[in-house]
Amino acid sequence: MPRPERKLITFSIDGREVEAPANMMLVDAAKFGDVEIPVFCYEPKLGAPVGACRMCLVDIEGIPKLQTGCSTPVKDGMVVHTQTRRVKDAQQSVVEFLLINHPLDCPVCDKGGECPLQDVSFGWGGGMTRFVEPKRHFKKPLELSPLIAIDRERCILCYRCVRFSQELSEDYQLVLHERSAATFVGTFDGHPYVAPFSGNILELCPVGALTSMPYRFRARPWDIENAGSVCTLCPAQCNVAFTVRDDRVLRVLARENEEVDDGWLCDKGRFAYQSIHAEERVVAPMVREDGVLREVTWERALEAAKAALGGAQGRIAGLAGGETTNEEGFLLQRLVRDVHGSPHVDSGAGLDRSGLLALGDPGLQATVADLEFAHTVLVLGTEPVDDAPILDLRLRKGVRRNRVKLAVATSRPSSLDPNATLAVRYAPGAEAAFVTALSAAFYGGAVDEPAQAAGADAGAVHELATLLRTSGGDQPGDVVVLYGQRVLAEGEAVTAPLLKLAGALGLSGRPGAGLLGVPTATNGRGLREAGVLPDAGPGLTAVPSAGHGATGIAEATAAGELSVLYLLHTDPLRDEPQRAVWERALEAATHVIAHAGFLTETIREHATVVFPAESYAEKEGTLVHPDGRLQRLRPAIGRPAGVRAAWQVLDELARSAGAEHGVHTVHSATQQLFAAVAFYAGLSVDAIGAKGVRWWEDDARAAAWPQESGLRAAISDLVAKTPLSRTPDYEEAPTPSGLGAADGATNGALRLGTYQSIWAAAEVEASPALKFLHPHQRVELSPADAARLGIEHGEHVTVGSAGATVEAVAHLRNESPAGSAFLQSGIPEDAANVLQGPLVEIRKATPK
Amino acid sequence: MSSAILFKDIDEPGLGTLAVYQRRGGYGDVLRKGLSMPREALVNELVESGLRGRGGAGFSMGKKASFMPKGGMDKYLVCNADESEPGTFKDRELMTKSPHMLIEGMILAAYAAGATKSFIYIRGEYAQQADILDAAVAEAYADGLLGENILGFDFSLELVVHRGAGAYICGEETGLLDSLEGKRGNPRLKPPFPANQGLYQGPTLINNVETLMTIPHILGMGAAKYAEIGVENSTGTKLISVSGHVKRPGNYEIELGMSAREIIYGLCGGIEGDHEVKLWFPGGSSSPVLTSDDLDLGYDFDSLAKAGSMLGSGAIIVVDDQTSVVEVCLKLAKFYRHESCGKCTPCREGTQWTVKMLERMKSGTATPMDLDIMASVQEQITGHCLCVLGDAMAMPVGSMIAKFRPEFEEYIEAARERAERELVASLDAGLVGSAT
Repeated sequence: MPRPERKLITFSIDGREVEAPANMMLVDAAKFGDVEIPVFCYEPKLGAPVGACRMCLVDIEGIPKLQTGCSTPVKDGMVVHTQTRRVKDAQQSVVEFLLINHPLDCPVCDKGGECPLQDVSFGWGGGMTRFVEPKRHFKKPLELSPLIAIDRERCILCYRCVRFSQELSEDYQLVLHERSAATFVGTFDGHPYVAPFSGNILELCPVGALTSMPYRFRARPWDIENAGSVCTLCPAQCNVAFTVRDDRVLRVLARENEEVDDGWLCDKGRFAYQSIHAEERVVAPMVREDGVLREVTWERALEAAKAALGGAQGRIAGLAGGETTNEEGFLLQRLVRDVHGSPHVDSGAGLDRSGLLALGDPGLQATVADLEFAHTVLVLGTEPVDDAPILDLRLRKGVRRNRVKLAVATSRPSSLDPNATLAVRYAPGAEAAFVTALSAAFYGGAVDEPAQAAGADAGAVHELATLLRTSGGDQPGDVVVLYGQRVLAEGEAVTAPLLKLAGALGLSGRPGAGLLGVPTATNGRGLREAGVLPDAGPGLTAVPSAGHGATGIAEATAAGELSVLYLLHTDPLRDEPQRAVWERALEAATHVIAHAGFLTETIREHATVVFPAESYAEKEGTLVHPDGRLQRLRPAIGRPAGVRAAWQVLDELARSAGAEHGVHTVHSATQQLFAAVAFYAGLSVDAIGAKGVRWWEDDARAAAWPQESGLRAAISDLVAKTPLSRTPDYEEAPTPSGLGAADGATNGALRLGTYQSIWAAAEVEASPALKFLHPHQRVELSPADAARLGIEHGEHVTVGSAGATVEAVAHLRNESPAGSAFLQSGIPEDAANVLQGPLVEIRKATPK
Repeated sequence: MSSAILFKDIDEPGLGTLAVYQRRGGYGDVLRKGLSMPREALVNELVESGLRGRGGAGFSMGKKASFMPKGGMDKYLVCNADESEPGTFKDRELMTKSPHMLIEGMILAAYAAGATKSFIYIRGEYAQQADILDAAVAEAYADGLLGENILGFDFSLELVVHRGAGAYICGEETGLLDSLEGKRGNPRLKPPFPANQGLYQGPTLINNVETLMTIPHILGMGAAKYAEIGVENSTGTKLISVSGHVKRPGNYEIELGMSAREIIYGLCGGIEGDHEVKLWFPGGSSSPVLTSDDLDLGYDFDSLAKAGSMLGSGAIIVVDDQTSVVEVCLKLAKFYRHESCGKCTPCREGTQWTVKMLERMKSGTATPMDLDIMASVQEQITGHCLCVLGDAMAMPVGSMIAKFRPEFEEYIEAARERAERELVASLDAGLVGSAT
């Protein structure tokens, strides 16, 4: 779907000739002539205008009746009046009508001071009312959900919240009940409005009808300041504005960036700010003495860390978690690699350097906005609403408004299935076989065999290939493949067929098409590019000898080969896929130095030195969005007294070991990083600014992406040739030996798939308002398997493999494929990473 | 009556069955003739007949059909059988007695519009008529008159009878379409008009029952001949539903242009109790009222428009001089307040404000200033709404205030005095202020 082109036209508004883009709605076009037309229901983000509030009536010459400016596209030569008596009377009428039932309780209304109804009444209203009857009454305020309060008396029925629920997030919960003046907003079934994006209606509401439960009565607009930054709670990296009062974050608002978030936020991003000021937060350094963590002075903590690192003789490893900034990651890899001479540093990229170079090729990159305008989007092995929530809204928008064809290929049923033209399932862990089958369908290779190994229907694989191939009609279509990092677990067995697929679809160098990978960690892409990798340094340069990746680090530590673990914003027992080996590693390590905000299990039980971490509202630095956009984190509030910036600590530790790098501010770290990464050349925080910069959009920087011979060269050659159907001159990757879906069912075991809920985060657990959403383990399985195992929906079960078990509640889903079971990872107890897989057995729990 | 077209055989026993309808010439030569004509010729025939929509807006039926785009997309025909304008009951009789005539009209209209799927959206209260239509549609399908290749022609049509749930607003064409799609029945913003983006975003021709039923007759007698009936710009016959204080209320088929006096005093036998006409609604409760001074107007689209009202759905409601205009006004306003969908501000708030003011007039707590406010509120509604429902209250209410202002003032004064008297009496009786 090509993006619409805009042509300029000239029209007249209030006697002035003004240029504006053709077909822009009059209310927007008027702004080109510095004319404001008041609106309530109009919100272009919600799609086509509805013309409900009638606030924007204007006079257009040649049309007898007044027209709504929100729904009238501007045409060349149009003559518009907004200041005539007739228009003013009409607008004043609408204000009068809106206010007759609106309680004039502005002094005690949370919206007061930032209320569009106040502004419009002041600007366009008559200043008095002739209405002397009793106003409409409702019970109020009510909890629309634990996060949102609704005051129906204040509601002006502009439809915005209902449209959001029906047409944007498509949770279909909010509706208008009754009709005429008795109309009111509520959920269809009367249950609380709980949905991943529900908080957006707070910002959409133009009056004080919907207010935030956690923010209610906390501040007035003149008490607060808003500070722009980026949310680091997931890879979507939405742009936010923190509402700050007296150095406390009291609210998070969307800071619209069309290229990143379209002005929306998920509820985690909107409400998890409460964790910043949670009591559980670590705000002083700690050292373990006699098995107990105790608060100590910074000097003591730093001494302890220095002693541990100094005494390790290079037998140390560093691991960075998702919320680590580029600068922190850069300094960590320098500390471990250059200062202490250990090659063992990782950020859980899960792929080797050549794979990262191939998939990260600038010519193959798609952007978030491409999801909305492509002919076809293939969602491969990711659940956007959990993995990068805001992309879920973008995909729905593309399908709904631009008729993007959506294909979903996942092992777990996706919430996007109902929107998809085609949904294909494969067995958990069989990504390599599935992608091999799909790629073979393009090149005339064997499809049946890998499809069977993937537990996928070969016919569906062919159908998917046809959809991708024919989406553009006669021309090759723009295809975006949105894939989850977990898809790449089998390395080259997946990347090779995936790149062949990219070649077959002609994605290389094609604007509007490409690959978009969703990392598991917020700043996964930035950390890779900063060199937090076992086999590559900053800028993905080759290193003399490769170190261990995350799991290798755990194994080596458990085996006594490494003695000090440096954990930067990560809790391996929770974040890493294999818990057992990490338990052994943490037991075996002589020192575990951790930067942490909360005493989660690893920190609580195993850390020997704890440095309190900055919250994301306090942090300064840069991140890289999954589509390559460098974004800037700017501090909104000061740090608690006991907290120091991680870059300072890392530099202090390097200096104490004799390495003077001249990192005096975080910006000097940024400059050093940009100097070290060839494809960041010439960038600065000023250039990144408030909205970020995609580095690969600059040709010189794109050309600086490291080139490599061998496999990658062969693949890029293939990708560049863009054949639409031909036999590859590249040898077929061997079909991965996987278990077919059927294998599980015969011996009574099920194949284990995992997923991480949007709510599985320490920040959610620490935010009082969100606590009720924090997930408990449940195992999803098909009704057929459940019947065979004699398990009913809602029953307590144990899921086990190789001696390890977790407790869960059985959750039967009709869409769930037979032979598979899905467990959540990333939760504090009974997480999926306790189990090894690939097969698990489910039994009824024995009552305690 | 000699001019009867739609009502010609209406009381024929068993006309609702396929056998009798066919014996009377239904589904015969006329249908064959229509289906063998090129589409454009059929549309042209409708344009030349001068047939104007019988549902209320009075737009040229042929022109509306000509707006349907060419092309291979899915197109729809929708019959608006949500007859809910107060005072209107003509479609009910037509559907009860001659359902096949509607089906035949729809086949022809669908053919002209290039639609292959059609719906009859019938108001929920017309359960009996919906059952009759269901049976007739089943008969038509069984006889090959609906479905694939009708009468062997290269034209196929599906027809579904859909029952509404009784909302007045679902008679507004875009509200009807939303309701038919399974949504809350709210009017849509226009443009786009249904001919471009209607049902399921596809081009849609939407017409009233009577309009569609007239088509076979136009084709039967020829457009030119049909156009000779009636007066200029108002051709043909029209079914009118007369109700109120007349001696013989009911449905009548008249040639357009007949005078109102002839209708009320001739056809309907004059006013009950031989009182005088105080006011009459010429085209349903949404039309601005006319008075006894207007009885010599020709009953046609242009004459009524010139007099500041409209022909609307052809429902004449006659109110005699024994009835209070304020009571009529309140009853009317209450109806529109109840039926407003609540989507747009002026209608939602304006209708309920008007009712509240009228209720105060009745209870004796209003002043003549309220009359000014009420008149101004009607002006604030008119022309400012998303659909015509707001205007449908504001125009008749506005016209009543304009034409009967002294009566309103007297009523307000009398009600105030009555209320005061009652208050004093209750004080005397010790009913107020006693702590019970």
